[in-house]
Amino acid sequence: MDWKIAELKELEDKIWRCTACGTCKTAYDYGPPPTFGEICPAGTEFGFEGFMASKGKIAFARGILSGELPWDEELVEAIYKCTVCAGCQNQCQLDHKPYIPEIIEAMRRKAVAEGAGPMPLHKNLLQSMKNYNNPYQGPRRVRTDWTRPFKKAGKPIKDLNKEPAPVLFFVGCTGAFNTAARAVPTATASIFQKLGMDFGVLGENEICCGSTAMRVGDSEEFKRVATKNLETFKWLHDERGVKTIISSCAGCYRAIKKDYSLSSEYDEVMSGIEVIHTADYLNRLFKEGKLKFKGELPWKVTYHDPCHTGRHLNKFIIDHEGKQLWKGAYVDVDQSECLYEQPRDLLKAIPGIEFVEMKRNRANSFCCGGGGGVMTGFGDWAAKNASLRIQEGEETGAERIVSICPFCHFNLNEGAKNISSQVKVHDLTELIDQVLVGINDD
Amino acid sequence: MSELSSLRQEQVTGIASAGKVDSVLRELRKIVGDSNCTASKHIRYAYSYDLSFVKPKMPDYVVMAEKVEQIQELLRFANREKIPVVPYTAGTNIGGLTIPERGGILLDLKKMNRIVDIDSESHVAVIEPGVSHAKLADALYKHRLRFGWPVGPPSASVLACAVSHGIGGLNAKYGLNSQEITSMEVVLPTGELVRVGSCAIRHDAWHSCLPLPQLDGLFKGWLGTSGVVTKIGISVHPIPPVLKVFTVSCDNVEDMYSYMHNLSNYEMCDDLTAVSWWLAQVPIPYPFKPKPDNAPEWFSFATTTSWTEKERDARVEIWEKVFEEEQKKGTSVKQTVYPEEALKGRTQLPSQVVGSTKNYCKQGGAGISWPGTFTPAKVWAPVYNKWKEILIAHNLSPSVRMSMYRGVHYGMLRAMIPFNKQSDQETENARHAIVECLKVDLDAGGIPYKPPIDFANEINQRADPGYLDLLRRMKKFLDPNDIMNPGKLGI
Ligand SMILES: Cc1cc2nc3c(=O)[nH]c(=O)nc-3n(C[C@H](O)[C@H](O)[C@H](O)COP(=O)(O)OP(=O)(O)OC[C@H]3O[C@@H](n4cnc5c(N)ncnc54)[C@H](O)[C@@H]3O)c2cc1C
Ligand code: SF4
Ligand code: SF4
Repeated sequence: MDWKIAELKELEDKIWRCTACGTCKTAYDYGPPPTFGEICPAGTEFGFEGFMASKGKIAFARGILSGELPWDEELVEAIYKCTVCAGCQNQCQLDHKPYIPEIIEAMRRKAVAEGAGPMPLHKNLLQSMKNYNNPYQGPRRVRTDWTRPFKKAGKPIKDLNKEPAPVLFFVGCTGAFNTAARAVPTATASIFQKLGMDFGVLGENEICCGSTAMRVGDSEEFKRVATKNLETFKWLHDERGVKTIISSCAGCYRAIKKDYSLSSEYDEVMSGIEVIHTADYLNRLFKEGKLKFKGELPWKVTYHDPCHTGRHLNKFIIDHEGKQLWKGAYVDVDQSECLYEQPRDLLKAIPGIEFVEMKRNRANSFCCGGGGGVMTGFGDWAAKNASLRIQEGEETGAERIVSICPFCHFNLNEGAKNISSQVKVHDLTELIDQVLVGINDD
Repeated sequence: MSELSSLRQEQVTGIASAGKVDSVLRELRKIVGDSNCTASKHIRYAYSYDLSFVKPKMPDYVVMAEKVEQIQELLRFANREKIPVVPYTAGTNIGGLTIPERGGILLDLKKMNRIVDIDSESHVAVIEPGVSHAKLADALYKHRLRFGWPVGPPSASVLACAVSHGIGGLNAKYGLNSQEITSMEVVLPTGELVRVGSCAIRHDAWHSCLPLPQLDGLFKGWLGTSGVVTKIGISVHPIPPVLKVFTVSCDNVEDMYSYMHNLSNYEMCDDLTAVSWWLAQVPIPYPFKPKPDNAPEWFSFATTTSWTEKERDARVEIWEKVFEEEQKKGTSVKQTVYPEEALKGRTQLPSQVVGSTKNYCKQGGAGISWPGTFTPAKVWAPVYNKWKEILIAHNLSPSVRMSMYRGVHYGMLRAMIPFNKQSDQETENARHAIVECLKVDLDAGGIPYKPPIDFANEINQRADPGYLDLLRRMKKFLDPNDIMNPGKLGI
């Protein structure tokens, strides 16, 4: 399988489209009313221009490419002090806009290839991926721990290694191994069972999607797991009748949908398979009138958009041939695949919930601080940043912050703990599971 | 490279990796704390260039101040040690003004971003240097107030723009943004904290620089060479609800001048601006592309705001009179529909479209510079015609803007010139053309704003010796050791 993953040098012409205007530093919308918010977690924490938004990252990229910035410990650390949240990308309007996260990750790939990166803690994570096929040093059998209560209750979850089913629930490593985030797969599976869905998991044979490896610049490790996963998906489709892959993890979802498409065989392998996030899937059922709720959740709730289900799913329209503007011109952005409204519509539909919006939302959502390898590499900063997001939630008067990513879930929880916030963090599936009427219920 | 740079270069670059700290950095750490100063090369590098043709140069240190007292202490130290200090907020001035000529300390003020006060009764706001246009626009709107937002990046500093004689969307009505400054707090190069304007007499009175002697002039238009401004009061204005933008086009600059001159007499516009066909394109064509024969060469937008429909109608009546008069004169002025995105970018301010340089640089790539000038309106036409020749000869678009200031018949004459900064040759070509244009303008009585050193040299060559002498003496008086942004005034 060939992979088209760009090297930094290949992006040099894009890097030279940046004017250093700094528009990427703040989320701003004319309105009226005009709205303003800080958008860059790294800039907010570290302040110096190099850390600040894509303007700063592109400065590093230029210096690295020209040889003016040779690798040293501080430079390596600086290129990893970025959550690759794409908040900056959302503000930029120039031709390199579509490539901004790519440029950041390509710097990391160069650092890894030249033996300068990643950060020491990332190295542990990557070693764990090599040893255990997950970043948490979790033994294979622990991957199914969360399924035990289902078995105990006489509702075991189908093992697709043994039986066919049209739906693969791709659990993801965070939900499976991170005990604080286990509520996510548990609630997801419970919802699927209540809905009477025929679905299964890969259990101990599931391996990491590779998202974190890709984010920290180890494209070799990413390719290894991604290739395996694509082969598994094909096998599941051909041998087990899988037509849909559902994920409750924003990171896995983004990886399978976007990073995997860099494979030369993606279209062929994935033909006949739809990849969908749980929130999108459930919203579809809701729109078809197939979700019924009983009882009430009398809470004031706000929603945190994960970067990976939001702006990371932007599709950029680029004039590759030079027919409309000029060769390589960025033309427009198509946000139709970003999951902005689906989770909100579901939340608003839950009886009793009063929904309030944080100031920075949707495409201008403020990253929780956990992405891009930051939670592993700089855990304290990740949690500190999450506290800022929690405070923003508090300012709305909300008692609960809901999201659709186990990574955000974990990190926001850490952020809430750090500042002893009363705000509780939930995954959307947890709320839905509480009020969903099962097909076998009265 | 500066003396300090060359002395410390080895030392500094070695320091980061060796984990050692030189004596300057040790002192800076004492003043602003470890996390607010650095000598790391990658950070210094990020401050070494901007979007202009000015050549990159690195500071030796970068410091972020959070408090006025830290700036005082820093300047006392720098003055004692004779280390250059360059004030910086966002570095978007388009003239290399924060690129250190002689190394030293780059003083990043973005963390001082408090809106100290919005007095919605007196229509005065008090802000620190790090307050961006985006932040102030958001805050003022809650009081239904506005300011003269430039067509620059929303993330750039309101204070830096105002002290640099910046130009905003209310310039036809209220003048330059520097004319909106009502009081200032400044740290002198020698570390003393001073105030000018009403806040000097009573600490919380920020309403006016007048009727005191205008000492605010010591800190406006000095390009960060006379002190660090730590707070300013600015006049802010109510937002009338009825917007009416009059748009016309015509075939030549003479006709456009005639129309603008006529309309400007009525002093009824917030902004009265004309842009050449090349500037009306989103983006400016790069390299030069001829205008289609059937397209007008000039477009104008006259932005007006009114409190009632009746007031708006009265403005319409005046505008129609002007328009008729221009038609009777036989000029080519026509009512027109202004290209939508371009109009939005210039009337919905602050704007991401223009701020992100989309309309300027999207085709050029990374670079933009300008001959940006204040020029008597009566010479706009001859200067433009000459600029057009020079720019086209350099294969650059004559993307020119003309704007009237506060009813009087002078104003901004500016060519926004994008270029491909990846290529040294193309950058040099743009620099050459722009400096040529500037000379034409200076000789016609114009004066460049936010001038890069190339421009400062051209100004000084033409300046009255008495003016230059006074400038030198004032500079020496305020900054005896020439530590503040040295070299930028070209004196
Ligand atoms: C696309 C684009 C369009 C623009 N359009 C306009 C426009 O319409 N009108 C306009 O006026 N400008 C315009 N500009 C220029 C620029 O954006 C503004 O002047 C801006 O507000 C400057 O802010 P900054 O934070 O970038 O200042 P900087 O570039 O950081 O600083 C500007 C100058 O002020 C000095 N300075 C900064 N802070 C202080 C301080 N506290 N005390 C003393 N000196 C200080 C610096 O040393 C420097 O000399 C434009 C720029 C771009 C990129
Ligand atoms: S990345 Fe885009 S928005 Fe940011 S400085 Fe560069 S051109 Fe401007
Ligand atoms: S991706 Fe996010 S953290 Fe990284 S520079 Fe951009 S806004 Fe900052």
